[in-house]
Amino acid sequence: MNINNFLSDLNLIYPEIILVSTLVIVLLFDLIFKHNKSFLPIISLAGITFAIFFTILNFGKNEFAFGYGSNNFLLSIDDFSNFFKLLILISSIFIILFSILSNEIKICRDRHGEYYTLLLGMIIGMFFLVSANDLIVIYISIEILSLSSYILAGFVKTSLRNSEASLKYVIYGGVSSGIMIFGMSLIYGMTGSTNLSEINSILKVTALSDVTFLTSLLMVLAGLGFKISVVPFHFWTPDVYEGAPIPITAYLSVASKAAGFAVLIRFIKIMFLSGITNNEYWVLYPIIDWRSLLIIFSIITMTLGNLSALWQDNLKRMLAYSSIAHAGYILLGLAVLSNQGLTAVLIYFIIYLFMNLGAFLVVMLIANEINSEDINDYKGLGYSLPFLSAMLSIFLISLVGLPPTAGFIAKLYLFIALVDAKMIVVAIIALINTVISLYYYVRVLKNLYLSKPAENKIKIRNLSFVYSLVLIMVVPVILFGIYFAPITNLAKYSLKILGM
Amino acid sequence: MHESTLINLSLFILFLPLLGFIVTLLLGKKVKSVYIFENLIIIISFFSSVYLLFSKLTNFRTTKITSEIEWFSFNNFITGSKLSINIGLMIDNITAIMLFVVALISMLVHLYSIEYMKGDERYNRYFAYLGIFTFSMNGIVLTNNILMMYIFWELVGLSSYLLIGFWFEKKSAADASKKAFIVNRIGDIGMFAGILILFFTYQTFSFDKIFGSISSGQLPFNSDFWLTVTGILLFCGAIGKSAQFPLHVWLPDAMEGPTPVSALIHAATMVAAGVYLVVRIFGLLTADAMLFIGVIGMISAFIPATIALTQNDIKKVLAYSTISQLGYMIMALGVGAYQFAFFHLVTHAFFKAALFLGSGSVIHAMHHEQDIRNMGGLKKKMPLTYWTFVISSLAISGIPLTSGFLSKDGIIASSLAFANLTGHYLFPIFSLIVALLTAFYMFRLIILTFHGEPRDHHKFEHAHESPFLMVMPLVLLAVLSIFIWYTPNPLNSEQGWVLSKWIEKPVIHTPENSRFDFMKSFHNENVLSNKSYIDSEVYKEAMHSAHYPAMGLSLFVAVLGIFLAFAVYQWKKINADLITQKLKPLYNFSYNKWYFDEIYHKTFVALTIGLSKVLAWFDAKIIDGIVNGSAFITKHFSFFIGNFDKYVVDGIVNFTAYFNGFAGLFVRRIQTGKVQSYLALVIFSIVILLFIFK
Repeated sequence: MNINNFLSDLNLIYPEIILVSTLVIVLLFDLIFKHNKSFLPIISLAGITFAIFFTILNFGKNEFAFGYGSNNFLLSIDDFSNFFKLLILISSIFIILFSILSNEIKICRDRHGEYYTLLLGMIIGMFFLVSANDLIVIYISIEILSLSSYILAGFVKTSLRNSEASLKYVIYGGVSSGIMIFGMSLIYGMTGSTNLSEINSILKVTALSDVTFLTSLLMVLAGLGFKISVVPFHFWTPDVYEGAPIPITAYLSVASKAAGFAVLIRFIKIMFLSGITNNEYWVLYPIIDWRSLLIIFSIITMTLGNLSALWQDNLKRMLAYSSIAHAGYILLGLAVLSNQGLTAVLIYFIIYLFMNLGAFLVVMLIANEINSEDINDYKGLGYSLPFLSAMLSIFLISLVGLPPTAGFIAKLYLFIALVDAKMIVVAIIALINTVISLYYYVRVLKNLYLSKPAENKIKIRNLSFVYSLVLIMVVPVILFGIYFAPITNLAKYSLKILGM
Repeated sequence: MHESTLINLSLFILFLPLLGFIVTLLLGKKVKSVYIFENLIIIISFFSSVYLLFSKLTNFRTTKITSEIEWFSFNNFITGSKLSINIGLMIDNITAIMLFVVALISMLVHLYSIEYMKGDERYNRYFAYLGIFTFSMNGIVLTNNILMMYIFWELVGLSSYLLIGFWFEKKSAADASKKAFIVNRIGDIGMFAGILILFFTYQTFSFDKIFGSISSGQLPFNSDFWLTVTGILLFCGAIGKSAQFPLHVWLPDAMEGPTPVSALIHAATMVAAGVYLVVRIFGLLTADAMLFIGVIGMISAFIPATIALTQNDIKKVLAYSTISQLGYMIMALGVGAYQFAFFHLVTHAFFKAALFLGSGSVIHAMHHEQDIRNMGGLKKKMPLTYWTFVISSLAISGIPLTSGFLSKDGIIASSLAFANLTGHYLFPIFSLIVALLTAFYMFRLIILTFHGEPRDHHKFEHAHESPFLMVMPLVLLAVLSIFIWYTPNPLNSEQGWVLSKWIEKPVIHTPENSRFDFMKSFHNENVLSNKSYIDSEVYKEAMHSAHYPAMGLSLFVAVLGIFLAFAVYQWKKINADLITQKLKPLYNFSYNKWYFDEIYHKTFVALTIGLSKVLAWFDAKIIDGIVNGSAFITKHFSFFIGNFDKYVVDGIVNFTAYFNGFAGLFVRRIQTGKVQSYLALVIFSIVILLFIFK
């Protein structure tokens, strides 16, 4: 690798550099100021804000970074990766604000340094993951991401269910990444390369359709499927989501999932794309029936997620299953295998970010007040906590996908893509799933408003900050439901994936 | 001096009163002296319009200045065409003169009102209303398209409504304002329909473009008939606004407003807007439409003149006189006397404003006494008011050396010439009768008010000449009623600069076969080259031969009318009561205003109320019956549907729910919470997938 190229390529990863520097600064401050931890989130927020700025500057650049060999590059800084980086950074800002409010995190005041360091570590992992153009980079960044999240899932040491969640996550994650690296090594063995673009050009000349290659492919997909909690690689999700502190649950359900999807899309599109038809459908190497595979994954995922959510009494666990179901919907957008489907996926992610984080936020705030996430304890909250209940209702309605909320727009674009691709049956199955999901979301609303209040009125502290934060989340959910041109434009602008 | 300067100046004149309105209205309650601002504004606006008039008549006498901007546009995506709605200003000589008239009278009325309205509790609001009226009137005058004219037309109607009902605590005033507004609306519907036909046909509202298209042969629905209809529909707006028969009933009631308002709005400017509208659309009037307009004008001139004979309210007499004179102008347009009609508009504006302000001065002096039977002998007490009133009355009666003689004589001569050319002799006959009646009732008014012995001594004792601000406008307007401002020869107005230079000659755009004979181009080679028919030999000759007979006759009837008035009321040679007794039915007919209000109440109003009662009954019995019946049916049907829903649909739904719930219970079973089994399942699924996709 040429040192000059290396130095010039550093220009392209300013956001990553800033995040790493922030991580170091947070770590140092934590060591120096033993007793005052209150400025740690502020430093992290500042770093993330800078990173957002430089990520926006990177839009439209579309360059490879860190080349080696003849024409191989480790990272591709394209609009697609920038889109996901922006998504990750925005959700990170919200998560840090959540953490400030969270009772669970507040208790562990002495270990706040660790918390924010690990959070930044997750961001860095996800950053490299979404722009990775090489199997090794994918593996390493997944490990960076996973290791940080294992610890964060069990951050509250005193809580038994935290530790259980963390342990399950570690074991499950370890096995998954083991399977994945096994698959990657098989691919390297057969093609002699770890670079996605190079493997693509190799596949062009040699038809590798034997069982070994298929097995290795499925193994890698299993590892990626673990990140996006696709059935049947989802088993960790409900347990971890229920057990982890709510900010981390929310973060895993949005940012980590988005990064997983980004790398899955890149993996499939860069490694196996052979051409694009006139009407912008992708033609992939017929190693496997890609569309059927993705459709099976997504239908099983959404159906299982929704059916399981039906019986959950713990709201966090219900939202965990609901997020599995949403992963199914999103995967359906990918299964269309076209730019239109990809647009729908990106739109879905923007909206999913706001509505899902918002729902988790309100659940957390209510848990702060009533010390429970049980749906039966929500009875009559519409009268004692009117503001939060109203906001929760909006987020849940958006998660169902009813107009005039943004959730409707997300589903609308998805279904349009499906119908355009003549996947009518699949669209109907997805629609039925939406109807099933209505039941468990509305069940919460029923408890909020139609049941009599169980106890006296509860007063909320930190009113203005909490209110404004919830409002910041709810405004896009309503606004994008009515005026969605900005997000659709952003999604269409961010389709460019380098590497072909 | 550039053309664009004139446009900018006219914009300034247009919007300045609006500023006055806004400021006066907003600050009216806080700042007591804000009316001074409104008066200053109107004075500035007056001098600007004087400047505009001079520069237009000296530098741009023969050019028509227009300026247009796109207001908004519609894109038709199917045909790819674009439809623009433009607004703009047009300044020709008529505009400039009219603008001057409005500004002058508006200013005089403003100054007059400072004294007249003193002590009113809504003093500032009154001036604000005057401001918005002036703004709207200027808009009507300046526009180059009929849409804008319609908009300002309605604004004028609004300000008229506000000012008539200014003393809305009085029920009669509130009723009068409503009546004026509703009656005007009837005319405006016709006008709006006409505008729609024009826009539908020509896709433009601009006068010039519409005239251009008509000249090139494009007609509404490709027929002369529809052009006639369009002209008459547009004229309906004028019928309402200029209080022409049969919609004249609102104007006498409008006298409930303050007297200066009557002078400004209901005598000089707003009611003249109808005439101005006909002047503007003159080019598209066919022979049939002109005849219709002429007949309406003739009737409107005659009926109110007969009513004015017997009225005892000083303002009512003047109101009927106004309708009558407006009828003259409308009739003049109908007989093609375009220039005389507009000329009479201007002269009438001055002397009628003087008469109204004079009557206001009398009313002011008599402590709001309006009945002339309680007046008399005021000549000695109020000499200035008296003499200005006499000059104005001479003008309206058409006595030589006054402006009224010039214009009125011209109209009578034109109607005679028209009768000679086409055979419609009713026009000159009726206009002479009206001239006789006018002279009679005006001098009856003067004699009863100013001459003889005072009949109410108490009020007479307290009567006094009005203050300077009220007398000055009277004098100024009376001076403007002298011939010298318009022509050097007091007997022949056509030699004067107003008619020969200032007022443009009419241009006809309608197709040849729908014109009067004397307007056709074979009488005048130049008709098509934008020269007017009044330059044709035929018309000139007719006018020439009609001139002296008409002048002699009109002079004779005017003097006769004045003489009769003196004979009856001054010298008492003829006993008025005896005549009244003998002609009791006729007298009652006139005194009761031909029973128009009663007839309208018995017919249109009763019909409307009856119709609304029928509709209410229909609504209550039939519609509600249908609704109730359908509710009954729906109720029973829904009972059936409800049962179907309950047992069949819900059964299916419940089954699905149970099934899904059961499935949920099953899938939940997978989630054991044991990591070992999870991992086993992962490996198991990979193997399954491998078998599926192998």
